[in-house]
Amino acid sequence: MFSQTKTTIIGLATLLSLAALPADAQPKYPHATVTMVTHSSPGSGSDVFLREMIKYLGPEMGVNFVVENVRGGGGAGAVARVAKGPADGSIFYATTPTYIQTTLLSKPEFGYDALDPIVTVFYDPEVIYTRTQSPYRSLSDAVNFAKQNPGKGKWGAASPGSLERIALETLNRMTGARAAVVPHDGGGDMIINILNGTLDIGVGELQEISTQLQTDKVKLLGVLTETRISQHPNLPTAKEQGINLVVTKFRGLAGPKNLPANVVAAWETAMPRILANPAYKKYYEGENLVPVFKGQKDSRELTTAFAADTTKSLRELGVIK
Amino acid sequence: MDEIAIAWKALTTTWAIPAAFGGVIWGIFGGALPGISPSIAMALLLPFTYGLDPVTSVVLLGSVYVGAEYGGSIPAILIRTPGTNASAATTIDGYEMNKRGQAGLALGISLSAGFVGGLFGLMMLVLMTEWLARVALLFTPPAYFALGVLGCSVVAGLSGGSVVKGWIAGVLGFMVATIGTDPVSGVPRFTFGSPDLLGGIRPILIMVGLFAVSEILIQVREPPWDKADARDTRLRFPDLKLWKRLALPQAIGGVVGTIEGLTPGGGGTIAAFLAYNESKRWSKYPEEFGHGSPEGVAAPESANNVVTATALIPLLSLGIPGSNSAAILLGGLLIHGLSPGPLLFERNPDVAYGLYAGLFVANIAMFLIGLVILTPCIWLVNRPKPYLLAFIFALVVSGVFSIDQSLVDVGLVLLAGVVGYFMRWAEIPFLPMVLGVVLGYMVESNFRRSLQLSNGELMVFLEDPVSLGLLLCAAALVTYSLMRERRNKKAETGVTP
Repeated sequence: MFSQTKTTIIGLATLLSLAALPADAQPKYPHATVTMVTHSSPGSGSDVFLREMIKYLGPEMGVNFVVENVRGGGGAGAVARVAKGPADGSIFYATTPTYIQTTLLSKPEFGYDALDPIVTVFYDPEVIYTRTQSPYRSLSDAVNFAKQNPGKGKWGAASPGSLERIALETLNRMTGARAAVVPHDGGGDMIINILNGTLDIGVGELQEISTQLQTDKVKLLGVLTETRISQHPNLPTAKEQGINLVVTKFRGLAGPKNLPANVVAAWETAMPRILANPAYKKYYEGENLVPVFKGQKDSRELTTAFAADTTKSLRELGVIK
Repeated sequence: MDEIAIAWKALTTTWAIPAAFGGVIWGIFGGALPGISPSIAMALLLPFTYGLDPVTSVVLLGSVYVGAEYGGSIPAILIRTPGTNASAATTIDGYEMNKRGQAGLALGISLSAGFVGGLFGLMMLVLMTEWLARVALLFTPPAYFALGVLGCSVVAGLSGGSVVKGWIAGVLGFMVATIGTDPVSGVPRFTFGSPDLLGGIRPILIMVGLFAVSEILIQVREPPWDKADARDTRLRFPDLKLWKRLALPQAIGGVVGTIEGLTPGGGGTIAAFLAYNESKRWSKYPEEFGHGSPEGVAAPESANNVVTATALIPLLSLGIPGSNSAAILLGGLLIHGLSPGPLLFERNPDVAYGLYAGLFVANIAMFLIGLVILTPCIWLVNRPKPYLLAFIFALVVSGVFSIDQSLVDVGLVLLAGVVGYFMRWAEIPFLPMVLGVVLGYMVESNFRRSLQLSNGELMVFLEDPVSLGLLLCAAALVTYSLMRERRNKKAETGVTP
């Protein structure tokens, strides 16, 4: 059944690349077919993101891209698949913070450090939100309430090991609010608890609450990025509200170690180009993604710093020793 | 009436009708394969929907769900292997009926109960969405905890005799449910550093192991069936008299399925168990349950097909995917740039009403396709025993492996099979253990979440009205079954002087 899926994807990718105009003169990529591995299942976050990206990458790089879903083990299976793959630019892993967290939380045979980051492409902006009826009008309102009523604040985050939970616990420590940080099973159950008023505030990706935002069921209190995001120019960042909290939920690519320099260079050239493509831009802005192109050097630094930060936070929370 | 016109147009101007039939066929096969859950069957088709128009693709995905929830009952009845989580409750009486040579009738009941249940659920979805969405919002963490406790209260009913053995099995199930990431602190528990266990053990692995693998281990010791080919190989539908008897379990399945469909995390499995247990409680022939009661097949199969429609209520009214299957459907909508939730009815009424109409067609398709494929299925499992056992073993191992290509999963299934073998030897019932695995995480995580929210105050479970109501229900049910057991014991001792 999986090979069937794969065949269709190959078929689709081929069709798409046939339909598009040939790429303009640039050094040919050393492989005709490149496999993109994701740990997410067909139809969910990373998978849809990848499939949309290869629509534009295919014609740009002159390559047929195949998406392979290697599920299970919190991303460890997918990482292992790529780490054991040939270091020639024919296989990549679509990175998100998940693969670093899985490495820190368990002892997989191949961890995040078995791969080498190539590029970082997007950030998923994290927002703090609440239901429309709530008296809070900004993040500082909610935090001030929690500060003045220690132990009374009720804050929700998606899952216990998530970046979002770490962010809220950090906020707790920063402000001395001692709010209850309640992790959930993914997202759906948390949104219900926001809508019925069980939780004061929730934190999550902007994309997760797009429906509730459109129907005015929830309102945004702040965004956890360095600068304001183009989709909501009036929404102040946490920093502007006097709270130094920034969450970096990145999306990028990593490959096996010791990739040839021409392969890395090809990716570093192609990525900024598709980011500038107006059609792709329309898509990713609609998906609430923030383009942040980083080449290999910066991506490596980002990964190392992220892993160090997360390790520190998970230790402080007592999740790992 | 405009809505009907829109739905009709959506059905007739797209490929929705062939998609409904195709989706149901795919769903039945996916559901019948042990390990392939409805959501996986849907996910496998998702890439195909990229090129289809939006109506056809949502109808296709919705139909797979309908087909898969039904398909799970086929191996449950024929080879004692629940194809899906929600068909575990069907295994008990379905397989007993099969052993008595009533496979055709059991399949006929499951098909007709699933068909009626599916239509009932669809009616709820079409007529009551707005009202039921408000009910979904009443469920806070204490209410979810209470719902889980209500689910656990059926353990006594599922124990088939010894309540103590039932609780041993239930606690074993709870223990399995603690494996994986701690729901509140995030600390990995009992994972031994293995990333494969971080997400916990999926209930389907335990079920397939307990039921199917242990059955293979038991059967290989037994001599071959004498006259395997002489058994009933035709599909039969219940007659009028039996229909009257099945009306009550069917209705119970409808009510339970509606409520469980609404609550994220609940879903078809808990619905099927609750419906099974309630039907036993209200039945005129409770002693037949566990020994091939037709009501024991009708109730869970009705309930899990009701859920295929009502699980869409939170998605269509609030934009919240309540189950894995609803999440895949959400994916299908997002790919086409459609936003789920109430806006769908305003901006893309053709998709919303087309989905309703498509689900109606899918239920009819399920009935028709069931008529055609069941007779060959019955014939297939009446082949000589060595072939059949080898076939089941291959089906189990390949089905489980194909989910994540994980050998760890295959190992877990085989291990669960060995545990199941010894449980049968010690006469410990399986179902409470399955229930423990399914409910354990829900009960634990919501208990701890509630206490976090209340600063450790236990009164929170009595202050929340929904939680209080559900806990009172659970208390009443437990008291009732204890009293009945005592009465039965007295009656027994009265008969034997």
